[in-house]
Amino acid sequence: MRVGIPHMGNLYIPLKALFDRLNVDCVIPPVNNQRTLSLGIKHSPEGLCIPFKLTLGNMIEAVELGADTLIMAGGTGICRLGYYAEIQEQILHDLGYNCEMVQLGVSEQKLFGLLKIIKRLSNYASWFKIISAFRFGLAKLSALDRIERVVQKVRPVERITGAANRLFTKAIKAIDKADDYATLKKVQIDYIDQLNQIDKDTQYKPLIVGITGEFYVLLEPFSNLDVESELGKLGVEVRRTTFISEWTKFSLFLNPLGVNEKARIHKAALPYLKRDIGGDGWESVGEKVLHAKEYDGLIHLAPFTCMPEIIAQNIMPSTKENIPVLTILCDEQVAKAGMLTRLEAFVDLLERKRRKGNNR
Amino acid sequence: MEAYLGIDVGSVTTKLAMLDKNDELVASLYLLTEGKPIEMVQQGLKQIKQQLPEDVDICGVATTGSARYLAGVIVGADLVKNEITSHSVATLQYLPEAQTIIEIGGQDSKIIIIRDGVVIDFGMNTVCAAGTGSFLDHQALRLNMSIEEFSRRALASDTTVRIAGRCTVFAESDMIHKQQMGHRTEDILYGLCQALVRNYLNNVGLGKDIKSPVVFQGGVAFNQAIVKAIQEELNIQIIVPPHHEIMGAIGAALLVHEELLNNNNGSKFKGFGVSEVKYHTSSFQCKACPNLCEIAQLSLNGQVLARWGGRCDLWERSPSS
Repeated sequence: MRVGIPHMGNLYIPLKALFDRLNVDCVIPPVNNQRTLSLGIKHSPEGLCIPFKLTLGNMIEAVELGADTLIMAGGTGICRLGYYAEIQEQILHDLGYNCEMVQLGVSEQKLFGLLKIIKRLSNYASWFKIISAFRFGLAKLSALDRIERVVQKVRPVERITGAANRLFTKAIKAIDKADDYATLKKVQIDYIDQLNQIDKDTQYKPLIVGITGEFYVLLEPFSNLDVESELGKLGVEVRRTTFISEWTKFSLFLNPLGVNEKARIHKAALPYLKRDIGGDGWESVGEKVLHAKEYDGLIHLAPFTCMPEIIAQNIMPSTKENIPVLTILCDEQVAKAGMLTRLEAFVDLLERKRRKGNNR
Repeated sequence: MEAYLGIDVGSVTTKLAMLDKNDELVASLYLLTEGKPIEMVQQGLKQIKQQLPEDVDICGVATTGSARYLAGVIVGADLVKNEITSHSVATLQYLPEAQTIIEIGGQDSKIIIIRDGVVIDFGMNTVCAAGTGSFLDHQALRLNMSIEEFSRRALASDTTVRIAGRCTVFAESDMIHKQQMGHRTEDILYGLCQALVRNYLNNVGLGKDIKSPVVFQGGVAFNQAIVKAIQEELNIQIIVPPHHEIMGAIGAALLVHEELLNNNNGSKFKGFGVSEVKYHTSSFQCKACPNLCEIAQLSLNGQVLARWGGRCDLWERSPSS
C-alpha cells in the first residue's frame, strides 16, 4: 500500500512523520503549482471551490507517483467539503485510476476513530507504535506552528525583506528531516533564535491585521496568493487564530472532554448570526466582533462560490464592532496584481486612519 | 517650470497628468492602452512633451493603475501607488467635503467611502466585469455604434426596458431577446445602463453607506446615461468633476509632490528619452522549486531591468543576473 496525501499548507510534514514511523510507504505529491491547478480544474465540476480543485490535482499527481490509497478530510458538519472525498474518488475512478479513498471524518470519528483508521493503514501495527507515531506527528505539527507564529511577528519589521521567509523555508525542511524528539526540539529552538536575531526596525509599530475565513484557503498559501507574506512586505503584522496544531488539539483532545475553544467566538457572533451555517462562516463573523478592539483591520478569505463565507461577508458590514474588512475571494486566478492593489489600498486606508487618530 | 507627472496605466486607457508646483493642471493626455502598456507610456511621454514649455523641469513622477509597476520601471518613478489612494487624493483636492467616490473604469470599478477627509472603506469588483466600461464598449460594438452615440441615444429613452444585469452573458442574451421582440433601441440601451448601475451597487457597493456628496469619476462618467441612471437609483445628485477621466493620474502627481516635499533626493525620472528606446518583455517558468512560478521580465538591450511574478523573491532580488 502506498498512501498519497493531498496538501494543505505544511500538514504533509507531520503526516509523513506519522506514516514513516509506522513503515507505511507514503507519497507526497509536488507542492501546489500550476500543473496541480490545471489538472484539478480540468477534471472538476466548474462550480466547485478551489479547495476541491487543488486537492483533486494533488491526488492525480500522487497517483501518478504510485499512490494507491488516498486520504482526504470528509464527514458531516462542515460544508459540502464533507462530500468532496466521495466525488473525488468517483472522478479518479472515471479517469481510470485504481485507488482507494480513505476519509478522515474528524468530527464524527474523534480520536479513537482516527487511530483505528491509522491502524488499518499501517497494516495493524501495535497500538503502542501507533500512539507513539501519532505523538511524534503532533510534535512536528506544533513545532511548525510555533515557528510560524514568530515568522508572522518578524515579517513586518525585518530590515531585509524576505529574511524571515527564507529562514522559515529552511526551518520547514529541517523539521521535515528531524528524526527524533531531541533533534526536533533543537531545530525549533535554533530557528526561533535565528528569527529573533534578524535585524529589525525596532522603532516601527506595525499595523495589526487579523486574517480569518475558510480553513483551507487560510492555511494553503498557494490558494490565497501568499497573502500573509504580502501583508508582511507591506509592514503589517498578521494575526491568525487558526492553526492546524490548535485545531487538532481541540477537535481531537479537548472538545470530547467538553472544552470548546470556539464557544467564545460563537458567543461573540450571536447578535448577528445565531447558528452554525456550515464551514467557518460563524467563526468569521465571530472573529470580527471578538477582535475588533485589538486589530486595525481584518482580511476575510473566502473561496469563490463558498456559501458559508458569502453569508459571513454579507453580515460583517453591519456589525457595530466596526473595523475595516477586506474580503478576498480565492479562485483559479494566479496573477497577484489585483490582490496587491486591494491590499495596498487597504493598508493605506488603515495607515491614514491611524495617523488621523493619533493627531487628535 | 517645476512640474510633477502622474501616469495612470489602466487596462483600457492610459492617462497622464502634469501639475505645476501649485498643483494646477498644466497638461494632460488620455490614450487607449490597446493592450500595449509599454508603448502607450512611451507615446504618452512623447505627446505630453509637445504640450509643455521648453524649460519644463520634471521634479517628480508617480505611476498608478494596474500596470503601475511596469510603468514605474520604464519611466523611473519616484512613487508607485495603488489607484484607490490616488483617486481619493485627487477627489479630496477637488472637493474636500466628498463622502463617496464612485469610480467606473474599463475593467475595474470601485467605491470609496470617505468621512472627514479620510478613506474609511472601499470596495472593488471581484471576479465580474459586468459593472464596468468594457462591457458597455462591447455592447456598443455589437450594436455597431460608438460609445458616444450609445450615450446620446440611451438618454433619449422614455420607457423602461428591464435588462438582467447580474452577468454580462445574461445581459447580452436579454438584450437580444428584447431587440427581437421589437423594443426600441434607445430603451434597451438605457435598460442596459440601469442594469450596469444595479450590478455595480449590488456588488461593489454592497453594504456601503453611500452619502452625499457623491463624486463620480473614471472613463464611464463620460456616459451621461449612466450618470442619469445612478442618480435615479440612488436618488442623490452626483457630481462629475471636470477632469474625471484622469483623476487617478492627478492623484498620483499630487502624491509624489507631497512625498518629495518631505524627502527630496531629486527625481529618478529617466527623461523623455525613454520614449525612443525599445523595451523587450518576455516570460519563463522558474524551475528552482516545485512551485513552477511564471516569471515576467522587462529588458532593455539585453539587460534585464525588472522581474515579477515569483512567489518568493528569488528573481525580484537579482534583476541584473
